[in-house]
Amino acid sequence: MSTALSTTTAYARLEIRRTLRDQGFVISTLGVPVMMYLLFTNLGGQNDPAYRTAAMVGMAAYGALGAALSLGGGVAEDKSNGWLRQLRITPMTPRRVVTGRALTGAVVVLPSIGAVLLAGGLVNGVRMPVLQWVAVALALWLGSLPFTLLGLGNGYRLTPQATGAVNVACNLGLAVVGGLWFPVELFPDWLASVASWTPTYRFAEAARALAEGRVPGTTAMVLLAGWAALFGTYAAVSYRRSARTI
Amino acid sequence: MTKEPAAVLATVTKTYGPVRAADGLDLTVRRGETVALLGRNGAGKSTAINLLLGLDTPDSGRVALFGGEPDRAVAAGRVGAMLQEGRPVPRVTVRELVGFVASTYPAPMPVADALSLAGLTALADRRVDRLSGGQAQRVRFAVALAGHPELIVLDEPTSALDVEARGEFWAAMRGYARRGNTVLFSTHYLEEADSFADRIVVVDAGRIVADGTAEELKRSAGGALVAVDLDGAPAAFLAGLPGVTEVEVRGDRARLRTDDSDATVRALAARDAIRGLEVAPLTLNDAFLALTRGRDDRRARDTGQGTTQDAARATAPNREPIR
Repeated sequence: MSTALSTTTAYARLEIRRTLRDQGFVISTLGVPVMMYLLFTNLGGQNDPAYRTAAMVGMAAYGALGAALSLGGGVAEDKSNGWLRQLRITPMTPRRVVTGRALTGAVVVLPSIGAVLLAGGLVNGVRMPVLQWVAVALALWLGSLPFTLLGLGNGYRLTPQATGAVNVACNLGLAVVGGLWFPVELFPDWLASVASWTPTYRFAEAARALAEGRVPGTTAMVLLAGWAALFGTYAAVSYRRSARTI
Repeated sequence: MTKEPAAVLATVTKTYGPVRAADGLDLTVRRGETVALLGRNGAGKSTAINLLLGLDTPDSGRVALFGGEPDRAVAAGRVGAMLQEGRPVPRVTVRELVGFVASTYPAPMPVADALSLAGLTALADRRVDRLSGGQAQRVRFAVALAGHPELIVLDEPTSALDVEARGEFWAAMRGYARRGNTVLFSTHYLEEADSFADRIVVVDAGRIVADGTAEELKRSAGGALVAVDLDGAPAAFLAGLPGVTEVEVRGDRARLRTDDSDATVRALAARDAIRGLEVAPLTLNDAFLALTRGRDDRRARDTGQGTTQDAARATAPNREPIR
């Protein structure tokens, strides 16, 4: 059991290294969210501290979303270059390979979250008690799980090209409709009611509540758990289907 | 340890759409043997290997590694493999990759040993996706060796290597086999099968058409080659001579494959047709062509085409000739 665990973490370490060496990943999940956050909050005289905090959480969520989805790109890439097939003839079981990948996802979302929160605290002067920072970061981290599962599902199901396209569509669609870029309050009513069902909206809502010193609502938790279950099933089905052909 | 063979395929079939990639494969690889799977591209070598490794499940028949399910032997770390398809793993160094794969095995060889056996010591810190084709192929070899497996399976291991690298590769492979390990490799290079395998298994159209040493293969293909100058005489009579199984005319020279070279030569002499006479044993190449051509002929007949070699080739235009 201990060897199984150490193999899984060794695999995750390898994949984390590979992910962080991907310049495209670093730019799109660190550079872009931080830049967008600083632009949105410092252009056009938006000096409202509440907005700076809310936008910080939204952009950190956006970065985590992108990082989690990009996991699928890696899986699809390794499916097509034969690495997943090579792994099948090592003593490492396929289940541990998936676990290692999910673990990779859990780690590679952290830099995006950290970078935007740092930009909020250091550049934009967002102030919160330490415990509240920790709670927000933790909520953003845990809340990214459904998107990690969605990314895995895409990666196991689709070709690298299709994964790239679907990830971009998921990323932009979920970010915009979920209100990660612009507050949902600016949306027309119909779009706002669509937004309230999205996982991204509930994800950011829970983290924003914590940033404002409130406890996240039950609706948000239930909906997020529901999305996690749905994407988890999608990932499991995609994985099982592809395991026969890898 | 029991005496179970390292690998067994027993009347295994596998169909991909209309293609019978394995059509009743029977193969046993004993422990400590080095066996070559020899066949043209598309003959079914990779299918046989994928079935053996448990990467594919057969439609029927039995597959066993060390007497059990392939998955079990793989999970126990008794198997290492170098697959044919596959591009370099992006964004990882040679040492990281080989080190990781080694770490998944229960009793790996030291990473430095695997790197040095594969001739990668100087490239250890280079990224795998920035190596040349031949270097990347050596990385896949190191990956196959890293776990120090009892059975190593290599699918066309030298296809991207130049002559010198090929020599180094086989030297390393021999060293590995000499330690009592079992090696199964596929190739379409006859001389590789001839020089490095204890046994050659010829695969054609998803079936095993011959299995033995190079000498046995030459013998089972039958006979010898007799060549004479035609001197302008019509070639038609040649096919009727005693012993002759095949006639090939190139320009003014006829090459006859014969079961009984003495009788053939006597008959030629009786007709005073022995100008430029040459009698030679079959080369492995001739044996290979004879062993695999029979099936092509049958298929050619099935499709209503001629039975000459060219027509047979035409039924399989995607195949590369054996080099």
